[in-house]
Amino acid sequence: MDFSIHPETQEAVEAVRDWGHEAMRPAGLEADRLGSPLPVDHPYFQRSLERGDGRTSWCPGESSPVRRGAAVHAMWLAEEGAYWDRGVMVANPGPGLPEASVLARGTEEQKEKYLGPFVDPDRPRWACFAMTEPSAGSDAAAIQTTAQKDGDAWVLNGAKCFIGGASRSDWLLVQATLDIRQGRNAQRSFFVEQGTPGLGNFKIEKKMGLKAYESTSFTLQSCRIPLENLLGGESQPKSQAGFKTAMQTFNAGRPIIGAMAVGMGRAALDESLHFAKETGLIKRERIRDRIECMSRKLRSARLICLRACWLVDQKRPNVMEASMAKALGAQVSQQAAGLGLEILGQVAGTGDHLIEKLYRDTKAMDIVEGTGQIQRVIMARQLVGLPR
Amino acid sequence: MDFGIEDELHLLVETAALFGAQQLAGQERMHEQQRSIGNALHRAYAEIGLADLETPESLDGAALGSLAKCIVNEELAACDVGAAIALDRLGPTLYPALEFEGAAAVARLQALCDGPAPRRAILIHEEIDRDPGKPISLWVDWVPADEIAGVMLLGPTRACLVTEGIETRPLHASGLRASGGCSLHLASATAAEQWTGPDAASRAHARARLWVASMMLGVLRATCEFSRLYAGQREAFGKPIAHHQGLAFLIVEMNMALEAARLLVHEAAWRLDQGEDATLESASALVECIEAARWVGPSGVQILGGHGFMADYPVEKHMRELRTLGLMGGGLDAALETAGRQLETGVPPLNITTPVGERK
Repeated sequence: MDFSIHPETQEAVEAVRDWGHEAMRPAGLEADRLGSPLPVDHPYFQRSLERGDGRTSWCPGESSPVRRGAAVHAMWLAEEGAYWDRGVMVANPGPGLPEASVLARGTEEQKEKYLGPFVDPDRPRWACFAMTEPSAGSDAAAIQTTAQKDGDAWVLNGAKCFIGGASRSDWLLVQATLDIRQGRNAQRSFFVEQGTPGLGNFKIEKKMGLKAYESTSFTLQSCRIPLENLLGGESQPKSQAGFKTAMQTFNAGRPIIGAMAVGMGRAALDESLHFAKETGLIKRERIRDRIECMSRKLRSARLICLRACWLVDQKRPNVMEASMAKALGAQVSQQAAGLGLEILGQVAGTGDHLIEKLYRDTKAMDIVEGTGQIQRVIMARQLVGLPR
Repeated sequence: MDFGIEDELHLLVETAALFGAQQLAGQERMHEQQRSIGNALHRAYAEIGLADLETPESLDGAALGSLAKCIVNEELAACDVGAAIALDRLGPTLYPALEFEGAAAVARLQALCDGPAPRRAILIHEEIDRDPGKPISLWVDWVPADEIAGVMLLGPTRACLVTEGIETRPLHASGLRASGGCSLHLASATAAEQWTGPDAASRAHARARLWVASMMLGVLRATCEFSRLYAGQREAFGKPIAHHQGLAFLIVEMNMALEAARLLVHEAAWRLDQGEDATLESASALVECIEAARWVGPSGVQILGGHGFMADYPVEKHMRELRTLGLMGGGLDAALETAGRQLETGVPPLNITTPVGERK
């Protein structure tokens, strides 16, 4: 066993800390006060691009995907980034959530076409992954958006919601079903480029927190896309298509979401501890014990996230650990923010303190990428064979 | 970052698991009734090297650290925690001896406990008077032992060993009966040995807390596993009770609590083995184990319903023993006090932007 942080990761985390302190948190607070996402032309994004963000880990000419960092490395960066502002972190330009799917399943032509512009982007660029629908959230197998072959095109019809960065994305990786009756086995992922006729009705939602990035609903109405826009192409084995690809994205992503939650919880803990020390409240055992409890819960959640990511790096199954990381991280971050409100008391009630924003922001972490309850259902399937 | 277990440690885990399965499992009710485990078991334990895991090499020990000990403790305690405690004659008294002085003190402690009949040394987390010559008078209502060769008192900065003037009175303890149980009285006893040093005391406390915490992990694991398997077999309303979501979620929560506690214990032990100050981490790890024990033990009984309340099943024993284990190592409040003081004065507890090697 080894619980030390690799020096390269440490260095990268320190860089995120500096950037987070200087730019991410101010941008997050600005968006929160504004009540809407940071606009596409916000200087933050250009600066982010200049410091090296917004790029793909795909290397042109490489036969296999080359990842810049292992899952553990990514976890530490996710925690530190979310510590400063999780909303801004998600708003950052780049190929985002679908990148892992494209790297794992995309054809070489698709990597070149869709990830190529992110190798050395001329401007901030975004991409997004569109799974969630108004009637299919955590139950991703129940999506209703259809894809039907019609001559030399796929025709997509349906509605998506809560999709991060959809209206500003160059392309959207849309999850759709070839046959609703066949359930998850018929699901496939499709590249839909911005501006494609039939893709529209973008509506940026008003949210309780995490306002720096857009969560957007849109529709696909007889949206025709070329046949080659099917992720992985038509020749890929069925066993590697669609739903499985999407779920692999989530299995790798859940502990990262958990780590982000831990980062937000850590921010709340630091606010509480700072305030308690400044005011002398820390001398009161009742307060001190509650802070100790939060510190301990966050530490254990972090370790569980790390273990889930370490399993990813070892190419070992992590379904149980990934769900545990997501469930626990989200739970303790909300508790930490709630405790912060109580420790800061009336100060938190003014509505313009970071702890109040964190209280709103952390709630989302128990919802995105499978609610805490769904994570427990997944774990129960593993532990006691809970029937589907 | 590596959560894997090295080959040497893996072998040790397998050895401990095998010993537990062959020698301890299935015997726990008998051990409990007899209030002892017998000399043959002590000999078998020593022969496979488990008795000297942390003993210095100069005393023919393996000189392994806290992490190895914690992992072995969990394996043995999962089978029979009372026996696991009885087998470890020095128990956590090893840590003050090791941290304040080293091999020579350990050798004296070993000699003290040597003999044809099992004799144990007991660690009490207690403030000690600064005047070394002053007689020590102390009542302790319960310790999990019968034959006591020495009592180690460990305070915030000092430790002393008492070998004479120890009076005991056997009692029918709530749990851990396989290791015996008595009330202990030091009546104007004199310290045979004394040591001073805040850093050594802090490390000794930390290691002793992890010793207790890792025993608790074993029992937590046993109750989680037994109740999970039971819930998969027992049917109610036409399906296994584990398939009723109320119970399914409870089993999930129990396993999450176990995993969280285990990782905290392992991290703290690893940091101690690296020579780091893990005062906060060790105290917090014990607190987490005690907090988990408060509800995981009773939940194990709850899952079994009426059967859980009966001595035919192990979960009622798990519940009792988790609670009594939580009284050891200075208990919950002392650990909270230690952790709390660290929060008052130390760097933010989850800070990751200060390199690990420079943590103070």
